[in-house]
Amino acid sequence: MLLNKLSLLILLSLTLFAYPEISQDIKDKKIYPMGEKIYKSRCSSFDVNSYKSYDELSKIVKDGNKCGSLSTKHSQALSLYLWDVKREDVKVYEKLSVTKKDKCQVCGMHMHHYPNWVTRIKYAKDETYNFDGMKCMFKFYFNNKEGITDILVQDYYTLKTINAKDAYFVVGSDVYGPMGHELIPFKDKKSAKSFSLEHKGKQVLSFDEITEYLVRSLGR
Amino acid sequence: MSLLVALLTSTFFISNAMKSEYNLILDTYPDIIITNQKAMRDSTIDENLIDTILNIKGVRSVVARVWGEYEFTQSEKKFMLIGKEEFESYSNPTINAISTIAPDSMLISVGVYEALQKSYYSEYFNFIKSDGSLKKISIQKGAIGSTIQEKESLIVMSKENLKEIFNYKNDEATDLAVSVANENEVAFIAGKINTLLPNMRVVVKDDLRVKYENIYNLRSGFFLTIFIITFFTFFIIIYDKASGLNSEQKHEIGILKAIGWRVGDVLNAKLYEGLIISLFSYIVGISMAFTYVYVLDAPLLKKIFLNNYDLMSDFSINFSVDYETLALLFLLSVPIYIAATIIPSWRVATLEADEVMR
Repeated sequence: MLLNKLSLLILLSLTLFAYPEISQDIKDKKIYPMGEKIYKSRCSSFDVNSYKSYDELSKIVKDGNKCGSLSTKHSQALSLYLWDVKREDVKVYEKLSVTKKDKCQVCGMHMHHYPNWVTRIKYAKDETYNFDGMKCMFKFYFNNKEGITDILVQDYYTLKTINAKDAYFVVGSDVYGPMGHELIPFKDKKSAKSFSLEHKGKQVLSFDEITEYLVRSLGR
Repeated sequence: MSLLVALLTSTFFISNAMKSEYNLILDTYPDIIITNQKAMRDSTIDENLIDTILNIKGVRSVVARVWGEYEFTQSEKKFMLIGKEEFESYSNPTINAISTIAPDSMLISVGVYEALQKSYYSEYFNFIKSDGSLKKISIQKGAIGSTIQEKESLIVMSKENLKEIFNYKNDEATDLAVSVANENEVAFIAGKINTLLPNMRVVVKDDLRVKYENIYNLRSGFFLTIFIITFFTFFIIIYDKASGLNSEQKHEIGILKAIGWRVGDVLNAKLYEGLIISLFSYIVGISMAFTYVYVLDAPLLKKIFLNNYDLMSDFSINFSVDYETLALLFLLSVPIYIAATIIPSWRVATLEADEVMR
């Protein structure tokens, strides 16, 4: 009997601090931004890497010694943010911003009217080139592959800067860029596929699957 | 002529102030607003819908807003009450900038402060809840509000307190504010929400912009009338001047020619005359408009906008200089006036002196 109760208690405490089952979209859009706000205002000196498991971390947060007393919702947001975002060394790329003078390296168009389409290639010798879309960027890339460090594009849904090598591209959709038909970049295959379904996309391709022939044929 | 310029400039100033004001108001709106409908009337919405909407790709964030109006009967004023929860992001920068609200207290704007002061509420205010009991909320120091509407009537307090005053249940909210990262997707996502929640009303920021623009255009029709009338008057003056000189002015030029002035000299003198008169009246006109609009706060003309509850109940004009308008008025008045002085004098000056004097 006692054993039963004890096991129930253990189970209960486990579920209380266990890593919660929440969809990635909700985490990205609701929980992490809230956690970030709490982290910045309450406990920016929190050392995340000294904890081995999520349970341990969330208990400390819940105790309220380090970050002050928080409601259940807020402490969960903070611990999830610390565990998922702060712990891993996720590389955050700069926002791809351009000035009024900047022109696309390939087609010579002014880019500041279309900030959501700006892409960038960085070279090891400290050279950076901006382009007004994926198409121009790929045209440049196929001719100048030597010494590239980063190819940066913006995820269509979130406008966050991502590495083009990890991105998925939708071809043939009804969304046009500043130069007409475009390859629309996404940070994961799931969002690329959902976009492709909604906007009549023809193909979802990874970076390596994109050929020079395909890029040239988009221009026609 | 200075009067004409003054009239034109002040109408331009006021209409520009209106335009910048409604742009400021529109900036505080979220990309998409979702409201619940019961019998085609706005009703409260379930907060738990947030998670459903967050799962739509392209949505950046969803916030359940708790806000509404409260009638302050003592001074026949309507307060705008907005609830804020800590660590949430709002589309309105004024609300977003507020960091902490002390428990059971509220932040108020200048207009609300003055209204409450008149009824001797300086430390706290008792809100009447829907069941008739009172809710005491203390006033936190510091004025808030950036748009004129906000400065007039804004009150911000915690969501829990506001829900208590409005008699909302725990997971009820006034509406859901959706923000979308990529503006190209806004209309598409709104359509998606509409199919997902068919009994809700989904309003996109662009619809609101059109609504504001319609109200604004109605008002600016009046300005167009003033504009046309003043221009007509101005060109009558110009036409009168350009159609010919009277005999006294002709004699003047004749005498100048008789004492040895050449055509160039006469035209030079006339150029300076026109330049001085038109520049002087332009500057006087502009400064008259400035004092009328910004110092005196545009009496009479401002009345056109009063009683317009859609835009603002009362508004004092924020200072903004529109260089384009000033340049336009300059080009329309000064060179034309100069031309109208020189051309007829040139016609007279090319004639022989004795011919003019005769």
